[in-house]
Amino acid sequence: MQRSRVLVFSAVAGLAVAACGSGGGNNSTGGSPSASAGAAKLSGNVTVWATWSGTEQKDFQMVLDGFQTATGVTGQFQSKGDQLPTVLGTAIAGGSPPDVAVLPQPGLLHDLVAKNALKPLDSIAGSIMGSDYSPVWKNLATDTGKLYGVYFKAANKSTVWYNVKTFKDAGITSPPATWDELMKDVSTLKQFGTTPFAMCGGSGWTLTDWFENIYLRTAGVDKYNALAKHSIPWTDPSVATALGQMAKVFDPTNIVGGTQGAVSTPFPDCVSQVFGASPKAAMLYEGDFVGSVIPTVGSLQAGSGFDFFPFPSINGSPAAVSGGGDVAVMLNDTPQAQALIKYLASPQGGAIWAHLGGFTSPNNKVSTSVYPDAISSKAAKALIDAGSNVAFDMSDQAPAAFGGTAGSGEWADLQNFVRNTSDISGIQAKLEADALAAYGH
Amino acid sequence: MTSTALPSASAPAPAAVETPRAPRGARLRRVLNRTTLNVVLVAIGLLWLLPTVGLLVTSFRTNTDYFSSGWWQGLTHPAALTIQAYKDIIHSSGLVNALVTTVLITVPATLLVVLIASLAAYSLVFLRWRGRDWVFILLVALMVVPLQMALIPVATMYKWIHDTLGLQLFGTVAGVVIYHVAFGLPFAIFLMRNFYAGIPKDLLEAARIDGAGEWMMFRRIVLPLGKPALASLAIFQFLWVWNDLLVSLVFNSGNPNQPFTVFIFSQIRQFGANIEFFSTASFISMVIPLAVFFAFQRSFVRGVLAGAVK
Amino acid sequence: MATLPSIVEPRVRRVPDVATGGPPRRGRGRNLLAVGLFMGPAAILLGAIVVYPALATIARSLYDRSGGTFVGTDNYRTLFGSTEILVAIRNNAIWVIVFPVLVTFIGLVFAVLTERILWSTAFKTIVFMPMAISLFATGVIWRIVYETDPHRGVINSAVGTVVDTFHAPGSYASATNIKPSTATLTARPDGGMASTATLSRGDTAQLGLTGILPEFVPTGARDAQPPATASGAITGVVWRDFSVGGTPGVIDGGEKGLPGMHLDLLSADGSTAATTTTDLSGAFRFDNPPAGSYRVAVDAANFRAPFGGVNWLGVQSLTPTSGLGTTARALLSIPLADISAIVAMLWVWCGFAMVVIGAGLAALNREVLEAAKVDGATEWQTFRHVTFPLLRPVLIVVFITMIINVLKIFDIILALVPDSSHQEANVIALKMWELGFTGGQNLGLSSALAVFLFVLVIPVIFLNIRRIRG
Repeated sequence: MQRSRVLVFSAVAGLAVAACGSGGGNNSTGGSPSASAGAAKLSGNVTVWATWSGTEQKDFQMVLDGFQTATGVTGQFQSKGDQLPTVLGTAIAGGSPPDVAVLPQPGLLHDLVAKNALKPLDSIAGSIMGSDYSPVWKNLATDTGKLYGVYFKAANKSTVWYNVKTFKDAGITSPPATWDELMKDVSTLKQFGTTPFAMCGGSGWTLTDWFENIYLRTAGVDKYNALAKHSIPWTDPSVATALGQMAKVFDPTNIVGGTQGAVSTPFPDCVSQVFGASPKAAMLYEGDFVGSVIPTVGSLQAGSGFDFFPFPSINGSPAAVSGGGDVAVMLNDTPQAQALIKYLASPQGGAIWAHLGGFTSPNNKVSTSVYPDAISSKAAKALIDAGSNVAFDMSDQAPAAFGGTAGSGEWADLQNFVRNTSDISGIQAKLEADALAAYGH
Repeated sequence: MTSTALPSASAPAPAAVETPRAPRGARLRRVLNRTTLNVVLVAIGLLWLLPTVGLLVTSFRTNTDYFSSGWWQGLTHPAALTIQAYKDIIHSSGLVNALVTTVLITVPATLLVVLIASLAAYSLVFLRWRGRDWVFILLVALMVVPLQMALIPVATMYKWIHDTLGLQLFGTVAGVVIYHVAFGLPFAIFLMRNFYAGIPKDLLEAARIDGAGEWMMFRRIVLPLGKPALASLAIFQFLWVWNDLLVSLVFNSGNPNQPFTVFIFSQIRQFGANIEFFSTASFISMVIPLAVFFAFQRSFVRGVLAGAVK
Repeated sequence: MATLPSIVEPRVRRVPDVATGGPPRRGRGRNLLAVGLFMGPAAILLGAIVVYPALATIARSLYDRSGGTFVGTDNYRTLFGSTEILVAIRNNAIWVIVFPVLVTFIGLVFAVLTERILWSTAFKTIVFMPMAISLFATGVIWRIVYETDPHRGVINSAVGTVVDTFHAPGSYASATNIKPSTATLTARPDGGMASTATLSRGDTAQLGLTGILPEFVPTGARDAQPPATASGAITGVVWRDFSVGGTPGVIDGGEKGLPGMHLDLLSADGSTAATTTTDLSGAFRFDNPPAGSYRVAVDAANFRAPFGGVNWLGVQSLTPTSGLGTTARALLSIPLADISAIVAMLWVWCGFAMVVIGAGLAALNREVLEAAKVDGATEWQTFRHVTFPLLRPVLIVVFITMIINVLKIFDIILALVPDSSHQEANVIALKMWELGFTGGQNLGLSSALAVFLFVLVIPVIFLNIRRIRG
């Protein structure tokens, strides 16, 4: 019976998902959807599936409206939520895939290429991906030398969000720029009487993001990319260094609810611990999408009530941004689908959603002035400015069994690390064993 | 919450019919027992209701309130309650279409399961054929097949049917219904077979000797006697199909008409705080089958719930 | 059904008299035709949608993740080398042992007891209602019930009310990070603090504390003042030693005293010589202690935390496992989250058991029961010797259904158990789903686990064979 009560894998279940958020912006159509992308007028339909639902779905519909104005093609959107990989796999087996899909993880793109389900895009979007995007995005969407996707939506995952009033009350006038300043502010906040951090470790992916930001700064981009490919082992000394820094932050006295709170509070409950009606902590680390979650848990205003500072530099590390993103791929090669891919890669497509909020475009040509407020503009600018120092979310690049599954692999191992931060070598060994099993090398 | 029920189970329960000559002490004890029983059952009933009441009250509160205090605070501060979330859902476009699609999936899937399963169960109990016991055993085994394992093979088969017969099942309501019926059958046949097994065989042998045909006996004797079981089966099947998300999400994809569960699913914010929406949507999706259930109760289901003999 | 042959004969309302004639000879073919027509629709659907995928799964389990390479039993070897899978198997075992028995028992008790009350329909409706709730709602509902924060979770709120009544929290319990501002105070093992220096009559002490939010300072508190010396007494002040730009250890302007702080005067041997409480400006005074040297302690009771809530969906084990190795611990612990999920699932399924057993009761032959009563049997005897045996087939239906139900359980775990407990509370069918779809995209491994699930049903099948034979 079982069969029954089938799943609603909701945000409650909180499975792997890449960045996103719901729009906090206003409703006016933004950008200037002047049609330079689609040149000749077409007609007909193109079907699109993505994980976006709720506000994001409405916002993407605005993009599709702009696309229709520009090209005459109607985009028909369906939200598949966290189940997109399953639904897509089954639809391919059933012979009815959508024309275009927007995937939350690069790993899925490679799985689909292996199934021969994707069409190469070099002739359609190769040049724009070369000219308008940092190379990191093109490389991520390339498999066996061919381009299979265009990055349409990105996330800046190097943002630490803080409660402006709490910082002010504790006498912290400017947010920390370095790790040492952060540690000093942590101690000031504790003396003031506020718990410094709310942690979202109940959702394992937030811990991987913590680790990646620290690792990116203590080990550098090259090691980061090597670890993402698992060409260096997790037992590498650089991992121990990063985990050691992470242990400093995850001291039980720094966290709402102590160790127990750190591993059992899911996202977005942790957001309400900092920005809700009765704040219990001063700051929280997660990606730029937190900015659109905050208005759903309380009444603080952007700028005056909440703000973010870039993830601090550690021991003089250069500005670096950990990024996530959604990649659009083509499953049926129709003129309409090609037009949509071109449109999504173009600055016009990105600008529409950027203006609605809750969206960061990886396209360099999307002006930071189209964003609805200073905060989202600042997050977008940091992502673009980081250029080749953008490191794509490591756990999203890993096989999902390692980097994207609740209760196993990296998620669970880092939760166990937070439970006992003294056993760094033990956790490294476990991470390495799990990575070996998932990567197969 | 469950252990409270235990003591009264082993205690001698009060008699339904008072024996006139019962000694006074025994009668008093019975009255006391009956009072105890009522009190215990009221307590259990309240405990059972509590989680649902929590959901109901939560659905009238805002996200901010949800994060700052327990739902029972909503009872003492009724001014903070709001019906905004209900308004939002009811006014969202596509609600009616979604409900119609759900009915189009649920009703055929329920009726077909009940009909096909009772036919099969009849044949397993009242028709004599070699291997029927083994077929029954196989059915029990099939109950354990998890429906998620069949997604890809069935999708492949739907594609094959489309390519060879030109019949499109993937992405249609029919494809979803077929999937639900098939996965509902093992349990349904299992349930019905066990109920039919309790019907005295002499009843049918006599009719058979009298020359009644199998269809006749099925309709006139077995079906009426199996009514309570059929009613429960229909309710279960209805509820399971009603609440299904996965099968519709996968097999109805591409179809612009989506059932209520998928409709709700596509409105969930992926990351934001969703509780006001969750709780409201849960409540709406629960109220409709309950209403159906109550509507049926008057005629069809009374036998099951009231425990009366039909 | 229009295609049925005309075996429908004149209406038979009552059971005909056997004496009316001999058994009509039925052709073997005709019987087979009837079997075909009655069984046919079920057979076709089950064959195509259930049996074929099951066979395909068995075949798939012998191939690698992409399905292109035959790997024999490799997937099975991978499976049973994994602690995570052993944990999932352990959890399924817990579910199978605990859940079907409880559901059947409670369902039976409810079905029987509600026959004896006037409002049975109302009671049955209440218990049955959770069946109408989708998994997603069940997950939401029980997360609200199990919420750890006693201000938000109904169970922890109830427990907390009781606990805090018997074990009152301190007046500074809300501040979780209280620390001495300077080395004038040192922490004591019981959670309190004592002055580092020893004091005797005429001395003063300035005890600065940090980590207390302004809103946690009791209302009416006044600015702290440096204590005045009093001969024959030990005086001092306890204050919130934090202000922007202030100096630790110095009573800067605007820093509040901490009123209502319980203080102990400790003798040299550590025993308490006197106690006092600070006033609104945080000042205190121990009058005329016997000559000697003392230390002033801030009592631990000031900070005693209120009940913080039980993490019902956490991984704390109900069995002691500290002395065990990793694998043994994985196999032998019983995480609390399992039990909490079982309770939530009981809430859902007891209505099912009650209704099915109720339907069985309804179908019972009342005359037999009445006959037993007339024979002088008590209620309990009637139940034990008449009702129960007659209900047995129905009870077995419920029991077997629940075993199978629990073997392939996965949605409740997915919806209810938070990520951080997921690994410890995982079950076979959910692991299978993750391996094949959401995470691993490795249908080979996932199929192998599904086949293992098929194997687990074999004991249930034997149970049925025995029943049919018996």
